[in-house]
Amino acid sequence: MNEQPGNSFEERAQALFRDSVEGLDFAMRSRLTQARNAALEAAVARRRPRFLRIGVLTPAAGVTAAAVLGAFLWLGSPLGQHAVTVADGQSNLEVLDLVASVDEGSGDAMDMLQDDIEFYDWADKAANPGPAA
Amino acid sequence: MARFDTLNHAWMVWDGPAPAPEEAVLEYTRELEQFLADIERRAFRMAQVALRDPDDALDVVQDTMLKLARNYASRPSAEWRPLFYRILENGIRDLQRRRSVRKRFMTWLPGAKEDPDNEAQDPLDNVADAAPAIPEVLMQGQAMQQLEMSLRALPARQREAFMLRNFEGLDVAETAAAMGCSEGSVKTHYSRAVHTLREQLGEVW
Repeated sequence: MNEQPGNSFEERAQALFRDSVEGLDFAMRSRLTQARNAALEAAVARRRPRFLRIGVLTPAAGVTAAAVLGAFLWLGSPLGQHAVTVADGQSNLEVLDLVASVDEGSGDAMDMLQDDIEFYDWADKAANPGPAA
Repeated sequence: MARFDTLNHAWMVWDGPAPAPEEAVLEYTRELEQFLADIERRAFRMAQVALRDPDDALDVVQDTMLKLARNYASRPSAEWRPLFYRILENGIRDLQRRRSVRKRFMTWLPGAKEDPDNEAQDPLDNVADAAPAIPEVLMQGQAMQQLEMSLRALPARQREAFMLRNFEGLDVAETAAAMGCSEGSVKTHYSRAVHTLREQLGEVW
């Protein structure tokens, strides 16, 4: 492929050039290597299929996934479900408020709930409304 | 799976074997890396001969690598060398044009000093003649400096033809592809360059 120069002048010029290339200092060689690596990374980033480029976005994708999961858990929790399924439209916070606002003289709120069978019955029906009889 | 060092950060998300397109990218990236590693120092020296400034030369070489890698990496590797040097020579010419414009602009400014790029200001002009006692290495260095000065004095196309043919060892067809001209033009430019250089350096060498 290469045609070598055929006379002493051209051979000498070639030899001098090769010597000067070999004589490049370490710092310049290092900078050239860095330039090469940068070029190769740019090339691969450009050539990598789009769906594989997501690997570079892993941190952002992780944060987004965590946020979506958090929102899903919140809406999917029993608390959230009550807010949606309570038949009379009372929000979950309102129910909590009712429980918390019970007279202190009538005993502990939790004790009251355990004793109130009717309340459990109503809550079960409200959460799982069956087909109309 | 073989991994490419400089790309590890992007690869670590995959544990299993990479899909075929990615392997193909890695394959020609490896080949391209080998090509660039082989050619980069010579390209740098050729750019330095043309531009004199090592930082400018490095910028042009880096830009050339980027353009080749981005736009032509998927081309057959046999085409890379002429393509690389075509991009390099275009980069050198662009930079020289910008310098020329800047120099012209500077001459219009009041109190503007001589442009340091001016050939007359070349510090190499002040290099002393070789004395018999100078070691061989130094004499070779000086001979190369004289060759560089003579090359810079050549018309750009002759300099390109000489460097591509003589320094890089491209054949006439490759040189023509790199220079974007006919093979006949390459022969003419090269012949004139050798003739001029012989006239200038023959006695010194």
